[in-house]
Amino acid sequence: MTSPLTRDVVMETMKEFGIVEQVRANRFRITTTPDRLRDAVKTVQESLACERLVTISTADTRQMFELHYHFTGQHRTIVTVTIELPRETPELPTMSDMLLPAGIYERQIHDLFGIVFSGHPGLKKILLNEDWPDNEHPLRKDWKPDEKTFYGGTKQEGR
Amino acid sequence: MTGTTGSWSQRLANWARMKSPWITIFNSGGCNACDIEILACLIPRFDVERFGILAKGSPRHADILIVTGPATLKQASRLRRVWEQMPEPKYVIAIGACGAGGGVFHGLYHVSESVDSIIPVDVFVAGCPPRPDEVINAVVTCLGLLAEDIAHGGKEWRQKKAVEIPDTATTGEVRV
Amino acid sequence: MAEVVIPIGPQHPALKEPVNFRVIADGEKIIRLELNLSYTHRGIEKGAESRDFIRVLPLLERVCGICSHSHATAFAKGIEEIMQVKIPPRAQYIRTIIAELERMHSHLLWLGVAAHEIGFNTLFMWTWRDREAVQDTLEEMSGNRVHYNMNEVGGVRCDLSPSQVQTALARLPLLEERIHKYVAMLEEEETMLLRFRGIGNMTRHEALAYGAVGPTARASGVACDARHEDPYLVYAEVPWEVVTDTNGDVYGRTCVRIGELRESAKIVRYCLEHLPEGDIRVPAPKAAPTGEILSRYEAPRGELVHFIRTNGTDKAERLDIRTPTLANWTSVAMCLTGQNLADIPVIVAAIDPCLSCTSRITVLDNNDNTSGMITFDELRKRSRARWQEQERS
Repeated sequence: MTSPLTRDVVMETMKEFGIVEQVRANRFRITTTPDRLRDAVKTVQESLACERLVTISTADTRQMFELHYHFTGQHRTIVTVTIELPRETPELPTMSDMLLPAGIYERQIHDLFGIVFSGHPGLKKILLNEDWPDNEHPLRKDWKPDEKTFYGGTKQEGR
Repeated sequence: MTGTTGSWSQRLANWARMKSPWITIFNSGGCNACDIEILACLIPRFDVERFGILAKGSPRHADILIVTGPATLKQASRLRRVWEQMPEPKYVIAIGACGAGGGVFHGLYHVSESVDSIIPVDVFVAGCPPRPDEVINAVVTCLGLLAEDIAHGGKEWRQKKAVEIPDTATTGEVRV
Repeated sequence: MAEVVIPIGPQHPALKEPVNFRVIADGEKIIRLELNLSYTHRGIEKGAESRDFIRVLPLLERVCGICSHSHATAFAKGIEEIMQVKIPPRAQYIRTIIAELERMHSHLLWLGVAAHEIGFNTLFMWTWRDREAVQDTLEEMSGNRVHYNMNEVGGVRCDLSPSQVQTALARLPLLEERIHKYVAMLEEEETMLLRFRGIGNMTRHEALAYGAVGPTARASGVACDARHEDPYLVYAEVPWEVVTDTNGDVYGRTCVRIGELRESAKIVRYCLEHLPEGDIRVPAPKAAPTGEILSRYEAPRGELVHFIRTNGTDKAERLDIRTPTLANWTSVAMCLTGQNLADIPVIVAAIDPCLSCTSRITVLDNNDNTSGMITFDELRKRSRARWQEQERS
């Protein structure tokens, strides 16, 4: 195990991409813009020795969608790259060519939030059943199930 | 137990069903705890195979369908199809709180109302998850139901008949 | 292109949760894998947004029936950190004891299932019988064999009496002796050596690139363990070691899990013998201040991550769960390429999937243009036939 990353090292490496904060003793967050995401991730992987992607988390703040890419490595520090997407047109080029595990996370996020990852090799439904209507994304804050829509299950009444 | 009516082969089939019911287990999208408890029935501590209870893969060979989990919307149509494939007489046991009405998952967007709204259930087992002893008890209860149904010649005697309510508009009476 | 559809409906209970993945094969060799997880999707993340911190814990426990304590503890410790509530040492020790007992029961369960996949039913019966000792201990401590519900935000729900501690300590020697026997089996037992060695290989570089976690990654030499990287509960105080292996195949994963069984027994013994006196809970505020946390926990299958955001109310604003099996699926997909169809059950079982393959596997054959149906029983027969072939040669 190598020693944990210090605040100065992370600030120095990542300050060109956006705001760098230390949210916890062993966790740093860099907020950047969608078009700089690929470069930021590349720098995190190469210059900060982050070997693996932990996960991609999402949140809906009612004004924007947030995507958080968490990385870690032998230094046992988590480096998070955060971007925000507008709610009306949430689109982002896929990261699955650079980060292999991202493929499955992006499919999930697409099902639940409706964020479109352009260039993804197979953005099919992974979580919701095949009868689920295409433009309903359950984890959005403004989504409520509509009584008249058929969301799946059996169409038969009674037995 | 085998009944005195019916042909010789029917009595033999009834005896075989009572002595060795074959079950099939269907997980309709639960957390798996109930499935593990059912699997635990097979191990040396509880050992149901000595009673002749065999877990078969295909629903076409089974007498009893054991359903675990709340029926998710994806599994609901498959559950219905599996139930339709079973030959009569068939019985359904819904395991756990999920089987009864969704359990902790009641009201979530990808879960249907209950297993009972998709297929008719004969035995509900309470618990989250129920112990293997309780699952074995449920199978034995099912066998009791099977014995009664054989004696009555089928399941119809257990169905509730619809109650006739007189139409007050035509008679002009108002019942209080 | 032939489409060979393998519908795996309800069948022998060794397979637990339903999942669907499509295997694109070239004759017997697999080329690609596609995945569908909707069979068990219940909408828990949305449900967690409308339940307060007391009601959400039973819901989170039931995300998975085997690693239920993992989800509840990951969430509870995340919320406690946002609230800046420090739980008493006795509660930390009790949570650790339950966590390690859960790891033991999960690994014994896995060992039985993996043995069943290769046709070694005797080991299945043995490990599950030993598992009953762990289940009895958990039942005495918490009241239930599964879904212990020991956690509260602020501590644990019920205490361990001295007689419970003594009974648990009295069961440990039997478990340790059985684990010792499994370690010996791993070195000598022909069945396991033949069917597990050389299957599902993954190098260290691949494990990191595909994002594998848990025993799957540790078997390829990646020493990542959330208990070591981000110590929580009492893992910084208790003497224990991260178990790794360099084999990188299913045999390596088996070695790692059996090694972890030994370590867990050690941790449970230490915690029971050094259980500190004191309270088991502190009063926690009803609502959590606005904050965000990434709570990591080492579940039996790997690193479990809860991303929690709170907004000053008594409910979580957003809970994003990344289960270890999801992180491992990509590595399974990659591991399976180039392997034989008959090895699917063993390789998939080797990552110890919490969503197992009870459901459909669609096999698309690149060469022929025919389509047919095989049942999973047939697939398993092929797997066993291959073992018998190897035995004879």
